[in-house]
Amino acid sequence: MSAETVGIVEAPAPGVDVTAKAPAWEPRIVALVCNWCSYAGADMAGTTRRSYAANVRVVRLMCTGRIDPMFIVKAFEEGADGVLVSGCHPGDCHYVQGNFYARRRFTAFRALMEFLGLDQRRLHFAWVSASEGAKWSGVVDQVTQAVREAGPLLDWGHSSAGRSTGPAPRAESAGVSGSAADGSFGPSVSRTPLSAEDNEAITAHLQGLAARLLSEGEAGTVVGYTAGSLPGQMVPVFATRPEDARALAWNERCVNNLTVYVREALKKAPGDRVAVVVKSCDARTVAALHRENQIDRERVLLLGVSCAGVWEKGRMAGKCHACREALSPLSDWTLTPEGAVKAERPETAQGRAPETAQGRAPETAQGRASEAETARVEDARDTEIVALEAMTAQERWDYWQRQFALCLRCYACRAVCPMCYCDTCISDARRPQWIPAAFDGKGNTSWNISRAVHLAGRCTGCDECYRACPAGIRLDLINRRLVREIEDRFGYNMETDPGAPAPLTTFQPNDPDEFL
Amino acid sequence: MARIGVFVCHCGENIARNVDVEQAAQAARRLPGVAFSDHYPYLCSAPGQKMIRDAVAEHDLTGVVVAACSPHMHEPTFRSTASQAGLNPYLCEMANIREQCSWVHTDRVLATEKACAILAAMVEKVKHNHPLDPIELPVTRGALVIGGGVAGIRAALDIANAGYPVTLVERQPTIGGNMARLSETFPTLDCSQCILTPLMVEASRHPNIELLTYSEVESVSGYVGNFKVRIKRKPRYVIEDACTGCDDCSVACPESVPNEFDMNLSWRKAIYIPFPQAVPAVYTMDAEHCVNSNLESAGGYRVLACERCHEACGPKAIDFDMKAEIVEREVGAIVVASGYEMMAAEEAKEYGYGTYPDVMDGLEFERLLSASGPTGGEIRRPSDGKVPRQIVFIQCVGSRDPARGVAYCSRVCCMYTAKHALLFKHKVPEGRAYIFYIDVRAAGKGYEEFVSRAMEEDEILYIRGRVSRVVPKDGQLMVQGVDTLSGETVRVPADLVVLATAMIPADRGGLAKELRLATDPYGFFQEAHPKLRPVETLTAGVFLAGSSHAPKDIPDAVAHASAAASKTLEMLSRPKLHREPVVARVNELQCVACFDCELVCPYHAIERAEIRDRQGNLIRLAARVNEAMCEGCGVCTAACRSRCIDVAGFTDEQVFAQLTTLLSAPAVMGERVEAAEASEVPA
Repeated sequence: MSAETVGIVEAPAPGVDVTAKAPAWEPRIVALVCNWCSYAGADMAGTTRRSYAANVRVVRLMCTGRIDPMFIVKAFEEGADGVLVSGCHPGDCHYVQGNFYARRRFTAFRALMEFLGLDQRRLHFAWVSASEGAKWSGVVDQVTQAVREAGPLLDWGHSSAGRSTGPAPRAESAGVSGSAADGSFGPSVSRTPLSAEDNEAITAHLQGLAARLLSEGEAGTVVGYTAGSLPGQMVPVFATRPEDARALAWNERCVNNLTVYVREALKKAPGDRVAVVVKSCDARTVAALHRENQIDRERVLLLGVSCAGVWEKGRMAGKCHACREALSPLSDWTLTPEGAVKAERPETAQGRAPETAQGRAPETAQGRASEAETARVEDARDTEIVALEAMTAQERWDYWQRQFALCLRCYACRAVCPMCYCDTCISDARRPQWIPAAFDGKGNTSWNISRAVHLAGRCTGCDECYRACPAGIRLDLINRRLVREIEDRFGYNMETDPGAPAPLTTFQPNDPDEFL
Repeated sequence: MARIGVFVCHCGENIARNVDVEQAAQAARRLPGVAFSDHYPYLCSAPGQKMIRDAVAEHDLTGVVVAACSPHMHEPTFRSTASQAGLNPYLCEMANIREQCSWVHTDRVLATEKACAILAAMVEKVKHNHPLDPIELPVTRGALVIGGGVAGIRAALDIANAGYPVTLVERQPTIGGNMARLSETFPTLDCSQCILTPLMVEASRHPNIELLTYSEVESVSGYVGNFKVRIKRKPRYVIEDACTGCDDCSVACPESVPNEFDMNLSWRKAIYIPFPQAVPAVYTMDAEHCVNSNLESAGGYRVLACERCHEACGPKAIDFDMKAEIVEREVGAIVVASGYEMMAAEEAKEYGYGTYPDVMDGLEFERLLSASGPTGGEIRRPSDGKVPRQIVFIQCVGSRDPARGVAYCSRVCCMYTAKHALLFKHKVPEGRAYIFYIDVRAAGKGYEEFVSRAMEEDEILYIRGRVSRVVPKDGQLMVQGVDTLSGETVRVPADLVVLATAMIPADRGGLAKELRLATDPYGFFQEAHPKLRPVETLTAGVFLAGSSHAPKDIPDAVAHASAAASKTLEMLSRPKLHREPVVARVNELQCVACFDCELVCPYHAIERAEIRDRQGNLIRLAARVNEAMCEGCGVCTAACRSRCIDVAGFTDEQVFAQLTTLLSAPAVMGERVEAAEASEVPA
């Protein structure tokens, strides 16, 4: 839909009586409503002959729980200036709990769209019951007015919009320090860095352990790091024979999350176990995969190394600044300079990590959020997020549209992400084709939003997507923003309770919805 | 090749006033895939429906869009019309251009434009509709009723009288429930057992009712029309057919146990009958309290320290070797009538319940009143056996108290307290009865008159206010409260204090879990719709009767039970069960078995299916929808990231078609329609 013809009414054909003003532009709004409450409420508005603005077009679904954020994205892509989602009041869902899930999904989606800079006057959620005809007409008028004030949406997926070559705000401009040279590791956590001797010791213990595991048949494959071809580079290696263990090594350049290989490695060797060298952050991914029934935890050996932060491009990785876990509590074996020790992992049920002090799904999201907020220490990514959120919505939108313009749709982000394991990715779907395949603005915007939404509540913040992206798109910031939203809203923290049910597959009856 | 028929209704003036139906029909004609388009004053009328049928035949239509009122109004009508014309009913959709268009937009241009957009979107949707056939399920013609109180008995009798077999399961040794404990019932003052026992006997003698007392439901599997239930029959150690109910065993038994039927106000023996009119009229040995505590020794080695009951028993009906038995039943429907209990709230304890023997709750007082109770119907203080001269009744103890009890009103207490006070006054005419109340709720038939009678004729003193404390003083209990109507604090010396405690569900969550039933925050089972479906649950085939659903008095419990029976019979009387085919389906080839769908499904309708190769080896798992349980909400669909699950009737393709069409549909009629047709409306 090109900018010139968006919503502009051409001169009507002769014979058509247009006594009303010829509007300059009228908002086009799509409403996604549930059949039992909001659709019936809209009918009620009709039955009671309440007039309201004619700009809203309704798509009827059985339940708001059926609504995928992709529907909203597609609506904007196809020319909608605003979208309204409306369903039963919480607790009244015809299907018991569909709207509870919808509420959680929209909380995450709304936060994402706000972060991406979408004018929040374009996105609305409402609870309208079957008897609330008056409310429906009021909501429609309100939404229409808000979208009218926001104006026509002309730059959705327009990669040429305000193109400049300015890069994202970097850590240095935000005042985050940290380099090996000056010995400081960032503003938040003081940790003793591992010396070269420590690394060598760990390497030695790792090699010994791996060789033992392989020769004793405890594991069929050990996935770890080895020196790459470039100086200082560490790359993945798969050791399958005891003598291969010699290639394994550990140092602070072991940046990548190797757990992406676990699922396939398990499939390829049905009888064997797979051991994988993990940092604390990596281990959480395994817990998440286990929770999603993708791996048999009993067949995975987590070789947890003592990590004081990993380095890339001369600085400590953004995610490490706030990390407080040198060793993963999920480890089956712990590797420290002192030695390789088999960990006493308490018997855990289906994919659940041991209870931690912070506990699990909160009684009240509110109280929990404040605890989480004080508990969470800001890392480098958070600082950059703050800088972005200090911009106006339009500036932010322009920034992200420029970022998405760089996307080649190579799907490297998807390939390296351990949580992107679908055999057929939604981006490959053709009937219907939710995500346009061409790497133009619309398709790229849709792809990146969809991936972020699919990862909401599941992302463990390893930032491999960002690392892999050849265009350097700040995927880490998008995912980090959603991780924080989920944590603040629902009290769910991947770090402290990786075994808890994924936040978007559960709900609390009193989940916050002040955005309504 | 799509050949869609579009029918635009005038609905008299309702649509035609604000929407140019002629133009809408013309615009529709130009949409790709539309083979026929016309308008008519009243499509829902007989000639209107005939027009649709004729058009389907004449133009060989593959789909129908009726642009008229809301689908909530006439979708079944037009789907039936399509069906009669030989077209699958699910290939007919309605475009709502009345409730959501002509009735709310007065600007003719805008309304017509919107109507065309809505119409175009539904045409696109229909192109992606698939013919669907109702899902047919066999029905096991039998029912299970859980709980043998008055509600359970009523439901069982109704279903049995209609000719279907019923299994009635009761965990106590006798049926009758709480109603058997009552002495008289309000407002008629009928003797409770006199009106109940005939029903109990009828239930036990009914050829279609299988009575399983002293039994509990252990597990339920299956789905509507096809439930498999495992019932644990606890061992009575008494052979039911041999027992004559002579009481010799009980007399001989050396072990005394607090009598639960009498609310622990009296004693029974370890081998006992709960009350003389129990059904079945057989004795039960309470294995927990029998002296032979190792009756169920696992190794089979048993030592009997005491065999007095066995020696005393004439018909030799005692069998120490009895074991628990699991029986299985297959039923089509389940009625849950698990009833209520009284709650001993914190508030009750503050009033001395459990500390002072002369503070009791409503059911306990009921036993005192009852002729078959611990005092033979004489009201006596538990502490010294004297007849109380002053009784203070305190209402709303635990009810209407979110802080320390439950927020809801227990519905029956105002009435039974009035009844208690009235019966006390009849038995002790010189006595005085005080009732501390907040409101008096007497909404039923004859209820208000009953309370007025209690106040006026029996001179029961109603004090509006709460009680702050109950303290013992000089052998009495000093009840201190406030009288809000006078504004004064009052102190009433009481010989006996009766608390109207809250009614709470008897099931502590075990049944809810087994039947996968939702409960409200208080543990009462959740009905499908609070107004229109009070006896159904959201688990198809499971119905509610009585206080398991919410606090109820006896007439309401009986009505509720008959309603549940009616719903059960509705199901059982059909040869096959038909369910709407708007259900989800999984593409098992693509499913990566994350089972997020299983997690979010409100009906637990998703199973883990095993995909095996031809040799029978397990390759992987995939999600599979149980069509009998799926209600078509689509929550699973939105949860599936790889989108390998979809809901028939509201598929992704259909939603996509609507979204894209709605936004590209013609803005204005005429020229713009041509332009739209050429470039924007997808084929």
